[in-house]
Amino acid sequence: MEELKPTRVIDARGSFCPGPLMEMIKAYKQGKVGDIISVYSTDTGTKKDAPEWIKKSGNELIGVYERNGYFEIVMRKTK
Amino acid sequence: MSTNRKRAIIAGDGAAGTILANKLRFHSDPSEIEIVVFGKSENHYFKPDGVQIPFGFKDYHNSVKPTQSLFNYGIEFIKSGIKEFDLDNSTVKCENDNTFSYDYLIIATGDRYSTEDLPGYEKAASHFYSLEASLDLKRKLSAFRGGKIVIGQASIPIQCPPAPYEFTFQLIQYLKLRGIRDKTEIHYIYPLNRVFTIPNVSDFVEKLMEEQGVIIHKMFNVDSLDPEGKKVNSLEGETLDYDLLILVPPHSGQKVITESGLAGQSGYIAVDRHHLNYKDYDNVFAIGDATDLPISKAGATAHFQSEYLANRIANEVNGNAFFDSYNGEVACTTITSGTQAITLFFSYDKPPRANFQSKSDYFLKWTSSDTYFSAMLRGIM
Repeated sequence: MEELKPTRVIDARGSFCPGPLMEMIKAYKQGKVGDIISVYSTDTGTKKDAPEWIKKSGNELIGVYERNGYFEIVMRKTK
Repeated sequence: MSTNRKRAIIAGDGAAGTILANKLRFHSDPSEIEIVVFGKSENHYFKPDGVQIPFGFKDYHNSVKPTQSLFNYGIEFIKSGIKEFDLDNSTVKCENDNTFSYDYLIIATGDRYSTEDLPGYEKAASHFYSLEASLDLKRKLSAFRGGKIVIGQASIPIQCPPAPYEFTFQLIQYLKLRGIRDKTEIHYIYPLNRVFTIPNVSDFVEKLMEEQGVIIHKMFNVDSLDPEGKKVNSLEGETLDYDLLILVPPHSGQKVITESGLAGQSGYIAVDRHHLNYKDYDNVFAIGDATDLPISKAGATAHFQSEYLANRIANEVNGNAFFDSYNGEVACTTITSGTQAITLFFSYDKPPRANFQSKSDYFLKWTSSDTYFSAMLRGIM
């Protein structure tokens, strides 16, 4: 499946928990419904925390992708 | 007297600025380096006592000392803020427009409570992060006869991350002593999917909270407040009503930092995590709560950073080699019940171990303001 083009990309590589998740939440608050938010992270805790937050907040997790030395979490703001 | 006397300017008179100034004075010769501290405070308040003052467990008079009195001999304290940093010309401008040049600049301006980021905060919430707020909360708690208390933090990061849970455990003790614990519901809200940032400490604290009947709401990021309706709403769609809301205010870096272009909108300064340099400036550093380092914003952090930086600058001025680095060391004693506490040691690479709580650690916490003012702040330890 073709990956969606993000509205906003947050490069949080090198930042530790809860930094990447907090950056994602800040982008969510600033964004509008339909925005695609992508977060790059090297923090393994974020891989678990971010999808849980996306689910709890009622938004859509598009995917968690392994990249070269980091991973990318992509969500859609639905509310 | 050296003909090439250096000048170190320290911007900030809080824990970080004061400890660094005193340590640097200990390690260096006044004829080799002049130390000038800029700050605006009349008094220096030991903030960790805020988890005990609202309950009358500590007398606040022991938690405050005149700022001027805390600097060791050979340090100049100028009672002014800095309004401009000009790093390319190695100067700072203070509030009366006087300009000072420096050989070393250490930014220790701390952070601030940005209540404007959460409309309704002043009317809706109480907190314990300043002496005035702690005394105000003390009055509110004295008048409290039972009901629903919501405790938490408005955002991340905050100073002293364990403080909300420490406060909760002291509150439980207080309510028991007053005989109204069974008339009070305690709701603890936290932005993450746990009750503290560090997972193993969170597991330890969560178990203790559950044993004490605290109702936990994880992933509760405060979105808005309704002071009239006494409701707090989360970004995740949850709403809690309350009789008393105790919410650590949102934090931001200082405005002058953003206005000087030293940091982005958050106001927190990015520094080298092992050497504390700002960008590629060899003589400009930031320490304490002013930085965006991924460690606790706490006096203990500032203490370890000051030890490293004072030694580094002193050795450079004295012409000695210095190969040490700062590795994210933090140590803090945090309250985990009415009479017990745990002490956590950690660094960038080593998470803390939360094994056991003890009464001796609680005693350590209870006497920490004495240790702080007499030794730690003075640069003795």
